[in-house]
Order: sequence, then structure tokens, then C-alpha cells
Amino acid sequence: MLGSSLAFAQKSMDDFQVQVDGLGCPFCAYGLEKKFKEFKGIKGVQIDIETGDFSFQYPSEKSLSLTAVVQQVEKAGYTPMKTVITRANGLVETDAPLAAVDQGVAGVVSKKMFVAGNCEMCEARILKATSRLQGVAAAAWDAKTKMLDISYDAAALDLASISKAIAASGHDTKDHKASENTYDGLPMCCKYERIEDK
Amino acid sequence: MKYCIKYLYALGIFGCFSVSLFAQGPPITSDKPIMLGGGSFTAKTLIEHRKTAMGTFKYTPIMLHYLISSNALVAIHIPKVSYELADGTSGQSLADVKLLAKYQFLRIDGTGKTFRMVAKTLQTLPTGEALGVMELSSGLYQGYYGFVAGYESLKYGISFELGLNHIPEGDLDFLQHKLGFGLPLLKPQYPNRQINLFFEYTQQWLWEQKGYQLLYAQGIQYARKNITFDLAYQLPMINDMPQNMTFNRSLFLGTRFTF
Repeated sequence: MLGSSLAFAQKSMDDFQVQVDGLGCPFCAYGLEKKFKEFKGIKGVQIDIETGDFSFQYPSEKSLSLTAVVQQVEKAGYTPMKTVITRANGLVETDAPLAAVDQGVAGVVSKKMFVAGNCEMCEARILKATSRLQGVAAAAWDAKTKMLDISYDAAALDLASISKAIAASGHDTKDHKASENTYDGLPMCCKYERIEDK
Repeated sequence: MKYCIKYLYALGIFGCFSVSLFAQGPPITSDKPIMLGGGSFTAKTLIEHRKTAMGTFKYTPIMLHYLISSNALVAIHIPKVSYELADGTSGQSLADVKLLAKYQFLRIDGTGKTFRMVAKTLQTLPTGEALGVMELSSGLYQGYYGFVAGYESLKYGISFELGLNHIPEGDLDFLQHKLGFGLPLLKPQYPNRQINLFFEYTQQWLWEQKGYQLLYAQGIQYARKNITFDLAYQLPMINDMPQNMTFNRSLFLGTRFTF
């Protein structure tokens, strides 16, 4: 996965692949496409109604989050099963178990980490912080559980560096806290409950 | 019992057509529980040319459906009716305006298939002439309450509806049951290009009038990405109605456009 990620390094569009259940007829597929056309700038929409595979590209500067994609499928009236986003810089985000994504890639490990945050904007900020790190293969953060699933090349990176980079973006982890200045600069919706000092 | 046997016989006709065919689009004379994405509109018409013992009627509705969300729909139907009665009277006028609301309360999705159920109400306003023609122009307030269930897969679609139509100031209350089967003649593909066959049954019991009818509609539909063209011919299979209400046949011609 890390190798294929590098191939996308120069692209300006993020690639989205969603497995959608409930597409019982071609008209259902139209309903899904129409709902996603609300995302201005969407390109290359392809839907295979037999497999439920739905894919599209979206400008990377808009940082369309995994949560927003899942919610849009639900708003269209269908069931999102698995979402994989390959960012233009090569980072892969998914709501599928990362172990499956990493399968067969030597040296890549998957870990979970608590990261404080509230919303979709927090998600985008946390994932952006991880995407800047050399060696990150895939990452996904869940606003409900506050858990970050991250896969990275263990030879190039360690969990402490990842934790430090996330804290520098404004989000507390169990081992590193964001500075007061950075926290104060977060938008109102992102003002999460801070982790108490040990 | 007599009705049950005839109904099962009617279903057998569908069975003869159902071999080696693929999937479907929205039904023609029956309703569907699937909603195509919140925030979208569908403009449609389904012109009906109906011949009954009372005369001949041409019913032309303009229908606008709006999906508030992925599980709630509201719609308005503004129809015109022109008629030629058996006694020589003829004319045309606004028919009964209808307001429709549907709410989807069950959704079970699988890969390439879905099962859904919606609660439905259709409120008929007394804006039309009192022609006494069921569902077209009665000049009476009517309230219909029912549910629609539907299963759609890439091989076939089935829709089922059961509901009660209540007319506070009349004696035309009826219980209605619809059953529809849809089968596409072409392989499922997207963007959509389909020719679909529909086999649709409507049963109505008018207990105050001691009437019963079972109607069968054979339909064909040409469907593109977000537009359909529909044609159906409806005939009575059981016609045990009061003499002046006897149904002879209906021809339906319609189109719908989603945007």
C-alpha cells in the first residue's frame, strides 16, 4: 500500500472508493450520483451497480473527509460499507480494518491511539498532521471513539513522533498535549475537552 | 375463495414472463418505497384514458414530488379531467387535487438489493366535479392511509401496497391492495438504459357498495439516466362492481423526470 501511495504523489485530486449497499437498480445509482454532485468539483464518478463499487475524484485542497463521504451516502438513502480515500500525497484513509489494508506490505504496522477532538474539522486537521509525516501509509480517526487508527513504516517512524505531530496541530494525545496558543486558535466547534495532566 | 383462485391464476400469467429476465425501474400503476436521494424533485405525469359503464374519461395529472430527506417525501398532484358520459354529457374541469406524503421506516440493504417499507397517506381535496369516478374526480374529500413495501434486486423488483381509502361524506370507502412485478429486458447498467416490463395487479373492495374488482395492468417502460417513458394497459380480471361503476379498461401514458 505504501508503494502504491507513492505513485500518487504528484496528483492534485484525492481518489475515493466506497462500497455501497442498497443499489437495487440503475435509478438508485442515479440518486447516489446526484447527491454527490452537491460536492462541487467532483470528477470521474463511476458506479458499478452489480458490485456496489462507487468511485470518484475530488480536489485535494478541499480535504473532503471520510465522515462527510459516509454521511453523504446515508443522505442519499443507501448504506456505506467500506470507504477508502487515497489522498493526492499518497496517504490512505479508510474505515476498513487497517490490518487488511496493510496486508503484504513489509515493515508496515498498524496501531491505535487516543486523540482528542470533536468534529469533521478536527478529523481533517488530525489526518493532515499525520499525512505530513514521512512513512505514514494509512490513517483514520473516529469522532465518536476518538481513536486514531494509523499504519506506518516502523523503520521510518515511531508512535511518539506521530503523537507529537498531532499535538502540534492542536489535538491532545495521552502522551503529548497541544500548546495553549494552538488550542486557543482552534475554531469553536473544535474546542474539545482537554486531557488532564498526568 | 373464487376471487383467490382467480387472483392466483392471474399471478401465473406473470410467472410465464418471469424466466431469464433481469432488473427494473419505478413501477407504473403501483407505488414504490425507494427514494432517490434527499433534496431532489421529480416531475411526472401519467395520463389515463379510462372507459367505464358511466362513460369515457381522460385524466391528465401534473405531479411534483419533493424528497425532503432520504426517507421523507411530499408531493402535489394537480389533475385535469375531460369526460363524455353515457347520457351524452361532456366537459372538462379541474379534478380532485391530491397531496401525498410518504415516510420510509424500514430499510434493509445488501449488495445489489434492497428491501424498504414506507407509510403513506394521500389526501384528496374536493376540487373536482362530482363525477363519482373512483380516484379521478369525486368532488369529495378523501383520505387514504396505507403502507408500501418493496424488494428490488438486479434480477427483479416486487412492490406491495395495502391501504384504506376513507370518504367521510360518501359511501365509496375501499380497501386497496396492489402487487407489482418489474423485470428489465436489458442487462443492468449505469448510466441507466433500460426497457422494463411491469405486471401490476390492483384489488379494491368497496364494502359499502358491496363491490370488488381485480385489475391487471401490463406495462412497458423505457428508462434513461433520470427520465422514464411509461405505457400501460389495464383490464379488469374480476369485475363485481355496481352496474354504473363497472370498469372496462384504461390506457396509461406517462413520463417522469428527476432533477
